[in-house]
Amino acid sequence: MSALTYVRPDGVDEAIALVSADAGAAFLAGGTTQLDLLLKDGVIENSTLVDIGRLPLTGTSLLDGAVLRIGALTTMADLAEDPVVRERLPFVREALLAGASIQLRNMATIGGNLLQRTRCRYFRDRTVAACNKRRPGTGCAAVIGPARMHAILGADQNCIALHASDLCVPLVALDAEVRVQGPGGERTVPLTDFYVLPGRSPDVEHVLGHGEMITHVDVPLPPATSRSRYLKVRDRASYEFALASAAAALVVEDGTIAEARLALGGVGTVPWRAGEAEEMLRGVPATTAMFRAAARAALRDPYTLPGTAFKVELAQRTLVRVLEDLAEAAS
Amino acid sequence: MTAVSSGKLLGEPVDRIDGHLKVTGGAPYPSDFSYPDMAHAALVQSTVAAGTIRSLDTAGALVAPGVLTVITHENAPALAEGPMTNIGPSPRFPLADNRILHHGQHVAVVVAETPEQARDAARLVRVEYDEAAPVLGVGNPDAPVLTDPYGMESSRGDVEAALAASDVQYDETFHMAPETNNPLGLFATVARWEDGRVTVHDSSQWPAMARQSIATVFGLPESAVRVLVPYLGGGFGAGLRTWPHAILAVLAARMLERPVKLVLTRPQMFTSVGHRPESVQRLRIGATTDGRLLAVDHEATATRGAEEMNIEPITMGTPDAYAWPSAATHDRLAALNIPNPGAMRAPGHAEGGFALESALDEISYRIGMDPLELRLRNHAEVHPSTGLPWSSNALRDCYRVGAERFGWSARPAEPRSLRDGAWLVGQGMAGVTFSRWAAVCRAQVSVGRDGAALVRCAGTDIGTGTYTITAQLAAELLGLDVEQVRVELGDSDLPLAPQSGGSGLALALSGAVEDAARNLLRAFLDTVRDDDSSPLRGRSLDEVAVTGGRIHLANDPSAGEDYAAILDRHGLRELVADGEKDPSPPEGLSMAPAGAFAAQFAEVRVHEELGIVRVSRLASAVDAGRVLNEKTARSQVIGAMVLGIGMALLEETSFDAGGRIANATLGDYLIPAHADVPDLDVAFVGGPDAFNAVGVKGLGEVGVVGVPAAIANAVHHATGRRIRSLPITLDKLL
Repeated sequence: MSALTYVRPDGVDEAIALVSADAGAAFLAGGTTQLDLLLKDGVIENSTLVDIGRLPLTGTSLLDGAVLRIGALTTMADLAEDPVVRERLPFVREALLAGASIQLRNMATIGGNLLQRTRCRYFRDRTVAACNKRRPGTGCAAVIGPARMHAILGADQNCIALHASDLCVPLVALDAEVRVQGPGGERTVPLTDFYVLPGRSPDVEHVLGHGEMITHVDVPLPPATSRSRYLKVRDRASYEFALASAAAALVVEDGTIAEARLALGGVGTVPWRAGEAEEMLRGVPATTAMFRAAARAALRDPYTLPGTAFKVELAQRTLVRVLEDLAEAAS
Repeated sequence: MTAVSSGKLLGEPVDRIDGHLKVTGGAPYPSDFSYPDMAHAALVQSTVAAGTIRSLDTAGALVAPGVLTVITHENAPALAEGPMTNIGPSPRFPLADNRILHHGQHVAVVVAETPEQARDAARLVRVEYDEAAPVLGVGNPDAPVLTDPYGMESSRGDVEAALAASDVQYDETFHMAPETNNPLGLFATVARWEDGRVTVHDSSQWPAMARQSIATVFGLPESAVRVLVPYLGGGFGAGLRTWPHAILAVLAARMLERPVKLVLTRPQMFTSVGHRPESVQRLRIGATTDGRLLAVDHEATATRGAEEMNIEPITMGTPDAYAWPSAATHDRLAALNIPNPGAMRAPGHAEGGFALESALDEISYRIGMDPLELRLRNHAEVHPSTGLPWSSNALRDCYRVGAERFGWSARPAEPRSLRDGAWLVGQGMAGVTFSRWAAVCRAQVSVGRDGAALVRCAGTDIGTGTYTITAQLAAELLGLDVEQVRVELGDSDLPLAPQSGGSGLALALSGAVEDAARNLLRAFLDTVRDDDSSPLRGRSLDEVAVTGGRIHLANDPSAGEDYAAILDRHGLRELVADGEKDPSPPEGLSMAPAGAFAAQFAEVRVHEELGIVRVSRLASAVDAGRVLNEKTARSQVIGAMVLGIGMALLEETSFDAGGRIANATLGDYLIPAHADVPDLDVAFVGGPDAFNAVGVKGLGEVGVVGVPAAIANAVHHATGRRIRSLPITLDKLL
């Protein structure tokens, strides 16, 4: 097979330099995405893998008591056990534990989770000719396929590939920021701006340039009075991606919603922040009618296919269920 | 000699005798075998479902590092057609010409020094196709349909008249998605030629058939082919054919004059080793308002691959499942541009059981009768088709014991009457009448001077416990401890055995072992016939018994001697005896040989808003005749129940419009995870069968059959929604 160079540097700068200098190089974090796509599916080609597993980017710290900084190489399993996550970010913990399997969570990293590639089987099967994400301009075979595990928001006939992360759903709701380091230095990108809608270029998924890596994720903590929940809906009880999921954090004061943060998973080509629905809920009574109206707004203008049409209703019900649970707990 | 029923070993939950080997990695599976100088093969598969190969460019692959050869239809030698087997003709050889009959058809095999080189070079083979429109979908009007393809249609009574005269006229249609077997062990073939003979390690459930197939295809006497599969990483029916990839591996080894290993990838497992076909069934039943079933008419259509054959006897079990006076069955088989289906655990029965037991549940609601009561009222006291008494039938006990353990009597009849918060709770049940199948089997048993026994048979243990029950049975028959019995299986050079399939091997093999053990004891008695120093001198088989490693007089245990003493005194290293049993019912048999029976009960929770279905309880009461090992038998049944959960709620092989399987990975094709499986309750009822050898009835498949209907019936009880299409995914309940 094609020769593959594998290197495992000890420092961030060294890793960045290695990848920046080599157009065929890629970072290797937890491994699921890169190794599956490279070795098993053969849909990406790299000549060098730079294993960043030894870089000192693990663990969390609390900045000014207000922001949780998460090292990009912290594992999903470790983050789920973090005391700040347990106490202040229960829906982040729920999303982590609803994702993947125990074995994968022990290996998978937070940075890797953010950068996971879609599971679309049309993207991952190199014998399928039409895939705009894999080969721009060739079309999308998934839109005439069974397309059950595909996106309905941020999607169109050019690409319906789902962003399947659970973790990203509460993180976009929380206005998390991604700390990026690259050959040009460091920068910070809001997670909501980190992902790029497929549009005409489904091959471009995020704003990272070649040689840039995520070093940390900063998560602003919600108010102590906030209650949060993540609900994931799927046919199989575990180890399956979401058909629909909802993350919500509410601050309810005297029956009125003071603050709402909402996002959806299992439906978007990117982790889907439901901004309009948040606006609708701010300052209104926490009632089922309001929740339903907000859920309708969150699912406005979907791109559906026979296989995905049910997700419009399912995602709305999922969001309403989460909001009702939170409102009930607050009353 | 010792009657089988008196022993203490049979039925005991003895740990698997191969368990230690397996958990320590010492059990060699087919893909574990390697030879010096072995080359590795990788498949290239068609990316269209119908048409012809216009051009095939192997130049890039041939110059890739390590590549030894690329075999295509252009350079493959002509091979003979494979033989007819007792489950149909051999698969079509895909490199016979340039025609493409399904997506994923093998079009080339690349052989290289390493597996990585072979896989990499396989991606360099350029194939261009002249594509034709594929014929897909079970109801496709363009599909050629065979009528009565298995010659198994049956009819008794005037069904149409009985239906027309019935108070209750049930007529519904059921659809079931195709499913894929997905044994954990990737199927592999390792072939090695030497002096015109070939040794093949193959993922087969049937070494004798594999040997015959390879011998026929390559024009060899069967004695020149040896197929070895001492251990198999699961089969679920996928190993009941000698598939094209195995033929290609043997061919590559012959062409290269080197051993060749070919291991399928997981996606290739979906296109290369069969699947349960998609099916549609129409079921018409006539009944009285007081719950007497008068007539049934069952029509089923399954799919097959173009120019292939598969036996999916969906309607077979229906006529004898209940005491209906009139019954008719109709089988159809539609040819599509799909990989040929094959047997998947309880082929036909599982589909037919879903429709039949759903229908009975529906009828019970139409007439306002408890579903269990409806089944009891129509219980077949005698075998309905022949009117003969069953060789055994404890189905009533299955219903009773299953219902007691499940707590059926506390179930309120009304749908949507049970609830736990946001979850609707429902309970459903199904009965199972499984068919009996068995074929001729041989075995060899020997005892040596160490007093230990060796049992040898070509049959395989596909993970079900065959090694263990064989050792238990031989120990019982020879009066030994289980530890004193060694068992050799999975080698076509050993005495012939039928497939490990059709729930038939335990039945067939136990008959052969019993016969061989009897012959062996006779040989020992023959040895001392004129031996003055033997207390057994001149004794016949019916005068002796065996215990504690000794043969002794049945009426005087002190008068006897052990095996070793006889062998020593006569200067023999061992005595060996062959056994054979033809388990076919003889002409004029005054009873109807029975298969297993079961009653299965399910409780589900359905989220009222989100449609999520979770099975919260599942119970089976099974009449499998004599249970040889309570532990491995239970494992068989719980494994089957898990398969039933998958069939009911999760499993679907998704073909897209181009005939490509869109979910050919274990990440995309959903089988139950541990979290989907509740505690499974299994009870065995009934006793030894009166006709079958050793009283055994096969139990490898019965545990699947009622589960999908029991779950679907429970979903109806929970929600009021009747789902006649599997799997019941949550979108169907929104």
